[in-house]
Amino acid sequence: MESWKQYGALSGLFGLFLAAGLWGFNATGGALPWAKRSAQALQRGVQEGGGSVVDLGRGVVIAGPIRKGGLLLEFGGLVLLFSLVGIGIYAYVLRSTEGSGGDRTARQ
Amino acid sequence: MAHIHLGEGSFPVTALIVWTLVGTGLVGGILYRIRKGGIQTHQIALGGIGAAASFAIFQLNIPIWGGIHMNLTGLVGILAGPLLGALIALVVNIFSAAMGHGAVGLIGANTLVNASEAIVAYYAFRSLMRMDWDIFPSSAAAATLGLSAGALLMGGIIVVSGVNGSALPRADLTIAVAGLVGLNMGVAVVEGVLTGFIVQFLASVRPDLLGLVPGDTDQGPTGVSA
Repeated sequence: MESWKQYGALSGLFGLFLAAGLWGFNATGGALPWAKRSAQALQRGVQEGGGSVVDLGRGVVIAGPIRKGGLLLEFGGLVLLFSLVGIGIYAYVLRSTEGSGGDRTARQ
Repeated sequence: MAHIHLGEGSFPVTALIVWTLVGTGLVGGILYRIRKGGIQTHQIALGGIGAAASFAIFQLNIPIWGGIHMNLTGLVGILAGPLLGALIALVVNIFSAAMGHGAVGLIGANTLVNASEAIVAYYAFRSLMRMDWDIFPSSAAAATLGLSAGALLMGGIIVVSGVNGSALPRADLTIAVAGLVGLNMGVAVVEGVLTGFIVQFLASVRPDLLGLVPGDTDQGPTGVSA
């Protein structure tokens, strides 16, 4: 398919969804974190609000329940564990398939 | 990034039971299909890495649209396939709930939401590739569509279930939920663009991971061989 058609369709999709996002942003309280926005909208209904859509000054933070619950170490440990297991399996699969000349299908 | 962020006891008990049963049925069906059809070993590895990436980014609140988190479930679906993608959604939701991010009672509902994102993204990506789309637009559009499907399902689950303690009539609740769904669709664009770049990079260095190698007789990263 021609590129202009692909990117035209993609732009149309993005435009539509961004418009929906902007409406939802303003209709559910404006610049609020998701959990607070969700609880407020579901308890009190639509409440118009404004504020900046992008607020880089706030930075990237770990989710409130983890940060406020003092679970940062556990979070870091879990991410590390998941990463090591994933990479370990990946390395194992690469090594085991090199010897067999192709990927294998495992049956449980 | 659709995810029901309500606390324990927010849904009526009957709704919790229904969504947990439906979620269990989905996971049971997936396990049956994997057990019956077998699984490509490299997909297990991709599943492990996908779970790590999804879990990590799930907990990071970024300063866009007031403060949201991403899921990468669209990316996980495209890479690991719909079956492993749905199982990854379950794993991520269990660990997230264990850390207080999402209620334990809503694991079934949230798994349905996130699994639908992975499943729709996978099939949308495959469909667009068959229509001869390029990697970036197909993966970005597929992830966006998958995430919006999850957002719609999330909204449907909330409206059908009702919310304990909310005095809103069903019509007003529906409008409020529509606002949340709309916001999620805006977030889906951000995550869709990110997914597009990642998939395009992977396709340039390891096209086999995406089932894009010419002559590859596999059905792509479904995780299951017939």
